[in-house]
Amino acid sequence: MNIATHPVEPEEIMAWLDGELSDAQLEAVSAHVEQCVECSKLAEQLRATSQSLSAWNVPAIPINVEQSITKAVTASDSRIRKPNLIVRASFWNRKQWAFRGGATLAVLVIVMAISVPNLLRSKAAADHAMVVAQQRAGGDRDAIRESVVPPSGPVRNGRAGGVGSVSGFAGKVPGGAMGGVLGQITGAAPGGLVITDGQDQQSKVFNDIFLPMIARTVSLSIVVKDFPAARASLDAILNHHHGYAAQLNVGTPENAPKNLVASLRIPAPELSSAIAELRALGRVENESQSGEEVTEQHADLVARLKNSRDTEDRLRAILEQRTGKITDVLQVEREIARVRGDIERMEAEQKALEHRVDFATVELQLTEEFKAEINPPAPSVSTRIHNALVAGYQNATETVLGILLFFAENGPVLLIWLAILAFPVMLVWRRYRRLSASV
Amino acid sequence: MYARCDAAIGSRLKGGKVELMIAAAKNSEAENSALPESDEQLMLAFSRGSKDAFGELFSRYKQPLFGFFRRRVTDPEQAEELTQETFLAVLRAASRYEPSALFRTYLYAIGFKILRAHRRKAAFRATFLGAATREPVAESGTGEEVLLRHAVGKLDRIEREILLLREFEQLSYAEIAELLRLPVNTVRSRLFRARMALRDLLTAPVPKSSVSPLKPSEERI
Repeated sequence: MNIATHPVEPEEIMAWLDGELSDAQLEAVSAHVEQCVECSKLAEQLRATSQSLSAWNVPAIPINVEQSITKAVTASDSRIRKPNLIVRASFWNRKQWAFRGGATLAVLVIVMAISVPNLLRSKAAADHAMVVAQQRAGGDRDAIRESVVPPSGPVRNGRAGGVGSVSGFAGKVPGGAMGGVLGQITGAAPGGLVITDGQDQQSKVFNDIFLPMIARTVSLSIVVKDFPAARASLDAILNHHHGYAAQLNVGTPENAPKNLVASLRIPAPELSSAIAELRALGRVENESQSGEEVTEQHADLVARLKNSRDTEDRLRAILEQRTGKITDVLQVEREIARVRGDIERMEAEQKALEHRVDFATVELQLTEEFKAEINPPAPSVSTRIHNALVAGYQNATETVLGILLFFAENGPVLLIWLAILAFPVMLVWRRYRRLSASV
Repeated sequence: MYARCDAAIGSRLKGGKVELMIAAAKNSEAENSALPESDEQLMLAFSRGSKDAFGELFSRYKQPLFGFFRRRVTDPEQAEELTQETFLAVLRAASRYEPSALFRTYLYAIGFKILRAHRRKAAFRATFLGAATREPVAESGTGEEVLLRHAVGKLDRIEREILLLREFEQLSYAEIAELLRLPVNTVRSRLFRARMALRDLLTAPVPKSSVSPLKPSEERI
């Protein structure tokens, strides 16, 4: 059968039988099939083939399947009426809800089981600590205070009493609270050397008796509208509170807000008022305050200084009162020089420590409220296109080069793995295809 | 309806009067039926909450759909499961149904997707997890029927699918093309090839050994 002898194709005859032809084609093919024996035979064969398929019967669908589907329809009837509301919301079924709810409950129980005993322990510990503190405050401390500190001892500005007492202890400022302490301690330990032996105890006594020495540090970050005015106000505040700027940096970058970073020293008693005035300069963006207690450190330093001075005095007395070889004299002088050096170093440390306490540190950052300005005109369009093209070309070459380098570096290894894996993968793929076709 | 479809296989092949016959059958059925709506109207009614509409659709398509799966999977239980799954999928997707195509095409498209997923899962399990597919079920039916199944099983996979969709599901060339995502002309030429191959297989003398258990690739589509 060919087109030369048959104006219709065999497939058209089949389509004619299947009713898939248009009216015009239908007539032409019908007319041809009626006349052509060969085509009529083909049509008959096709008909017979299709009829033979009717022998392939399928049993009726089991009644249980019908029932289960009917049941599902009944159960889901309400969901279909409101599809958007419920069907889509039911991403968790009841079992999943139950499982997840149970898991959440279990996690909560575990968390409670772990945290509750800890909380109870913490509370008990806090209560115990409070009881101990109360006992100390009501008993030991009062006893020490009564036996050591005269009730009428002058205390300057709370913490300053500590400073005054330390100075008194160092022998610079007689009187004050420290006068009493010095009298008691020196009275109990003539020669002063006993202080070295009981240094820890002495520090404890200091901590218990005197108000703490605290070096305060404040960090402030302020945004101001008028930067020059804020700068002037800052100077005025420093003058007014007798403070000074230990460090000050001012930056005036182009197309960016001006800023000032300063480390200020403000007398501790005036810190609060100074901070309040600084806050008024603008909008406070960040503020933090901290205090470092240096009482023990200071007391330790004072005690060591006292010991060194006593040592120096004794060495001088030895040098003046006793005679000996010239080598011994020189050795005593060297020792005096060493002790003197220690004393001066410790005095400097003491001054610095007291200064830190007397003058609080304020880390100040002033930033101008930025007002953006129109940027200078961008490069011309042609320049930008040129730059983009150059960058694109460079990126493309880099990418190609990267790919080439990757394959040059990893290609041999990839080929080896390909050779190793190709055969098993092919087998697995064939098996998968075969099984998927056969199910 | 299924019985009507099977009976129509022969009558349909009497040439260009097919459409008229089908239309007449539909009309006569519509006159006698309590629910004269088309499948698409029924589906729309169901999507609006009419349980009776789904009942009617179910009664119309339960047997054809079961036949669709039964001819394509070996295990009757799996065919039942897949039938059920397809109707449940229709049920779940009812709210999103849009009558852009015939309901019949829509239903078989869902069935086809479920069948593919089933095949993929089964093949994956068998390939990677070593899980054997269910035991082959003993061939039942007359000798002619068994021979026919063997012959169909020997056809090319796609051609076999096209043949079954045309002969049993009675889809048009365009519907088959849409379902299998093939050009209509390809569907026509491959259907012709399948019919010719089946004719040759059925007319050729069959040795007894060839009726023995099918090879996996020949079992079902």
